[in-house]
Amino acid sequence: MSLRRVAVTGVGMVSPLGATAPASFDALLAGRSGLRLYAPADAPKPLAVPAGVCADFDAAALFGRARAGTLDRYSQLGIAAGLEAWRDAGLEPASGEDRAAWGVAWGTGVGGALVFERGYRDLFIGGRERLPPLTVVQAMNNACASHLAIQLGLGGSCATYSVACASAAMAIGEAFRRVRGAAAPVMLAGGSEAPLAYGVIRAWLALQVLAPGDAESAALACKPFQRGRAGLVLAEGGGALVLEDWARAEQRGARIYAELAGYGESCDRGNLVRPSSEGQARALRAALADAAMAPQEVDYVNAHATGTREGDSIEIAALAEALGARAAEVAVSATKSAHGHALGAAGALAAAFTVLGLRHGAVPATLGEAADLDPECAGVLHVTGAARRGAPLRAALTNAFAFGGSNAVLAFRAHAAD
Amino acid sequence: MVDTAPAYRYIQERLGVDVKSTDAATELASFGVDSLSLLELVFEIEEKFGVKVDEDTPPPRSCGELVALIERLAAAKP
Repeated sequence: MSLRRVAVTGVGMVSPLGATAPASFDALLAGRSGLRLYAPADAPKPLAVPAGVCADFDAAALFGRARAGTLDRYSQLGIAAGLEAWRDAGLEPASGEDRAAWGVAWGTGVGGALVFERGYRDLFIGGRERLPPLTVVQAMNNACASHLAIQLGLGGSCATYSVACASAAMAIGEAFRRVRGAAAPVMLAGGSEAPLAYGVIRAWLALQVLAPGDAESAALACKPFQRGRAGLVLAEGGGALVLEDWARAEQRGARIYAELAGYGESCDRGNLVRPSSEGQARALRAALADAAMAPQEVDYVNAHATGTREGDSIEIAALAEALGARAAEVAVSATKSAHGHALGAAGALAAAFTVLGLRHGAVPATLGEAADLDPECAGVLHVTGAARRGAPLRAALTNAFAFGGSNAVLAFRAHAAD
Repeated sequence: MVDTAPAYRYIQERLGVDVKSTDAATELASFGVDSLSLLELVFEIEEKFGVKVDEDTPPPRSCGELVALIERLAAAKP
């Protein structure tokens, strides 16, 4: 069976850096941080942590108040990103064409956590006996994907992948396989997450992996690859790509941002929380092999790097294992330093930023103290300080490594701008 | 009689509209209310009064019908 090439023809994003993909990308390249001190409303005990909040996102303006009230925030963020990508690809919401085989592949880790938390509060604290009638359909992990399929008339596969921090990357990878194998001519793929519920933040605090910070230090609390790194910063957001059969995209004159050329996955099969460079390197090699891409072709890696003590250095070791001598010449940055860790949406944000970077010949920088780079994380070309612009890139990888040990790597090739 | 103000405040908050001063014939759908959000709306109004709408009662479609429902529930509350 001959495989089809897969074009990325649309990009959408809602992030702590902006309410659209262009706004988020511009803020990222400008070196702005979307992180700040966040205190959840109605918290039974005082709580404030650094977090990435999508402050510019206005769900009521986008959906109308009545409809916004029927959606968990993770769906609101995801639908907004998905529809932006769709419009960006020049596709109409509904049309006469047959979309029976078109599909959605979505990722989320915690799904409708805010709706669950509201329900528990009503039951256990409020003493209510009844829950709002939409609780189930708001909170379910596939709600966002289904809303997108309904709104866009996509009648093929509609599946949601829940693989912790690799959820969206795997969703994009699985969508890629469907388009490449001719099961679907077009797939909307991405992920969304709204984890800033009181109970979810408390759970992450209990695991002792959150970076501390106050109102002043919150913006730079996430310090990937730096000696002063002390943990990750939770964030909300949504990201989406339109993946399309290359020939179809060319035929309709669509703008092609980049080629999604390969997808690799693996499982560490070792420890739930401690990653393994061996496992990660297998995913990296699998992605390169899948894309028929030599390490020499890779000019940029959007690292998973969340800012944890162990994780960041292990990822650099994995890059050295998989890329060999080339690793020392590859530009690497951790954009989570600017937008935080959106868990199940993280892979979609990374993919969206990377596709835009390939398109514009730009590499975002890791925010923080360039001089504080940890020698344990040496071995690649860290991009710090200012973003690199006007540097044509041939190919780029995005890493997403999940608790549980599931690893997903996407390999993109640049496509010359028309 | 029970105070209806919280119910109207809730609707104002949820739909961004004062249903009492809106033309009674105006369809709720014009404020983006669909069958799902209507379920949620009626549930919250029931909760405000601590009563349950009879299942045979057709759901309100217009501003006038919604106001009538609220006034009926308030009056039915002992």
